[in-house]
Amino acid sequence: MKKNPFVYYGKKALVFLLSVFILSVAVFYISRLAPGDPLMSYYGERVEKMSVEEKEAARDKLGLNDPIHIQYIRWVENAAKGDFGISFKYKQDVMEVIGQRIGFTLILGGIGFVLTFVGALLLGVLCAWYEDKWVDRILCKGGTLLSCIPEFWLSLVLILVFAVTLHWLPSSGAYDIGYKDDVLNRIEHLILPLIIVVLQHLWYYAYMIRNKLLEETRADYVLLGKSKGLSKKEIMFKHCLRNILPSYISIMAISVPHVVGGTYIVETVFSYPGIGALSYESARYHDYNLLMVLCMMTSILVIFCNLIGQIINEKIDPRIKANEVVETSEVTKV
Amino acid sequence: MTEKELFTMVGIRPEPAAPKKKVSRLKGFPWISVVLMSAIILCCLFAEVLMTKDPSYLDLKNFNIAPNAEFLFGTDTLGRDIFSGIWYGGRISITIGFLATLISTLIAVVYGSVSGIAPAWLDTLMMRFTEIFLSVPGLLLVLFLQAIFGEANVLTLSIVIGVTSWASIAKVIRTEVRQIRNSEYVVASKCMGGKFFHILRKHLAPNFIASIMFMVVMNVRGAIGSESTLSFMGMGLPLEIISWGSMLSLSEKALLTDSWWIIIIPGAFLVTLLMCLTNIGNYLRKAANRKESNL
Repeated sequence: MKKNPFVYYGKKALVFLLSVFILSVAVFYISRLAPGDPLMSYYGERVEKMSVEEKEAARDKLGLNDPIHIQYIRWVENAAKGDFGISFKYKQDVMEVIGQRIGFTLILGGIGFVLTFVGALLLGVLCAWYEDKWVDRILCKGGTLLSCIPEFWLSLVLILVFAVTLHWLPSSGAYDIGYKDDVLNRIEHLILPLIIVVLQHLWYYAYMIRNKLLEETRADYVLLGKSKGLSKKEIMFKHCLRNILPSYISIMAISVPHVVGGTYIVETVFSYPGIGALSYESARYHDYNLLMVLCMMTSILVIFCNLIGQIINEKIDPRIKANEVVETSEVTKV
Repeated sequence: MTEKELFTMVGIRPEPAAPKKKVSRLKGFPWISVVLMSAIILCCLFAEVLMTKDPSYLDLKNFNIAPNAEFLFGTDTLGRDIFSGIWYGGRISITIGFLATLISTLIAVVYGSVSGIAPAWLDTLMMRFTEIFLSVPGLLLVLFLQAIFGEANVLTLSIVIGVTSWASIAKVIRTEVRQIRNSEYVVASKCMGGKFFHILRKHLAPNFIASIMFMVVMNVRGAIGSESTLSFMGMGLPLEIISWGSMLSLSEKALLTDSWWIIIIPGAFLVTLLMCLTNIGNYLRKAANRKESNL
């Protein structure tokens, strides 16, 4: 049955838009309903000295007194014009605040993602090549151990060892004061957070590659290749690896938001001035406008990447039901 | 060249080895992990016997002391004895782990079964909802729930963790239920007037329990990890309630004074327990798969 591509992509786009809409309503309501005083983040300590009338006036000015659905409609109207409001805490346009920070996260998450992608592939192939030999066993044991270590504790231990005890690497920030344009200085600050980001995800994907490859080596075409006289290397790289790569790529597409967007803890522990630390701050200080945009950014990224993953997968193997990929990818979060 | 080598060279599938006499069902059973975990849990249960000090007593004369004969694991920046705190706080961490898993599993079982039995449109709707639920940043949900409950304690933190971690189990249950919902025994039970919860308990649950056991164990692991992470970030248990996570929340101060024992010791216990849970979970997963291939 041949599908009309317009209908196919139109449907996908519709689902995407609908999900984004429901999500924006949900996030908007959740963030407004959460108790806590947004005035605190706008005026800081001064709130306590303000009279009741002044507080009311301030609420009116910020539009916090209207019913939530009116606030939501106003937010959407402004957002359509590209105006996402100002951050209560930073007294700046939300986009400006994010603009200053997003580069740091993209560098950290982006490099982390590429390293994870390549590293997992290498490790997985290595394990499958030496199946049940000592290399494989040690890597498997080590990987399981690594996946059990909470992210924040690993960060602490690395800081303790490399920053506090050995004084090799800095423990926080993105660069030292006065070294803003010094690339080397920035790289130095990037090493520890980067190690955490990579280690956090590496084993899950490596193990997946290993298992998929092992499944593949038990297929009949491997025997055929062997009887044709192909070497182990040729079969492994030219046939087995090639067969599993497409599904790996689709899974990696789905995992982009996990790796790039999942840097809350690392950034907070290392006081790295990225989006993750910013989200944490904005949620704690009820900086609604900022929080809203940040949440929408991550969520849209998640939905979008899931969609891309599904499309890739359906193109490669039409038998696969769209949801299956997503399900396997979510086991990580357990 | 022997005959066997010849066959391998030509590429004929090697003869299957003669069936082993009897593969023990306990093959690969993670003895070490089970023993270690039981030991930690037992020690935590009988914390009062082991404790050498009052874990919440602020001994201001002896703060930040490295491990020695009196304070076996040293004291933290507030002067609390870490050795006593490990056992006492472990009890709370483990309680939260199990309580949160209980909550999330209950939600998942009900939600997954309803979604599995429901007509197609409701099923699609419910599954879409889980997808959207999974794409809302977890941090926001946790903060929202925390804000509703106010100051966190053991129960509210368990609820927060439980409510945010049911979705993936629910999806697995839903898939399993969809496969068996039209089998004769379920239909028969329905015809005899079986209520939803009766069918769930008698017919559905026994079928999907094997496939979710692994995820449930992993959920305990996740919950204990979340407790420590949240408490460390200052969004979980306050300092007064001793748990492994809240003990670790003193780490930032400990880094300044180079007191490694405050960071390493509670963390090591945490990682050991998580590792044991992972091994047990992996064993269960393999056990569940083994069963399938025999059928």
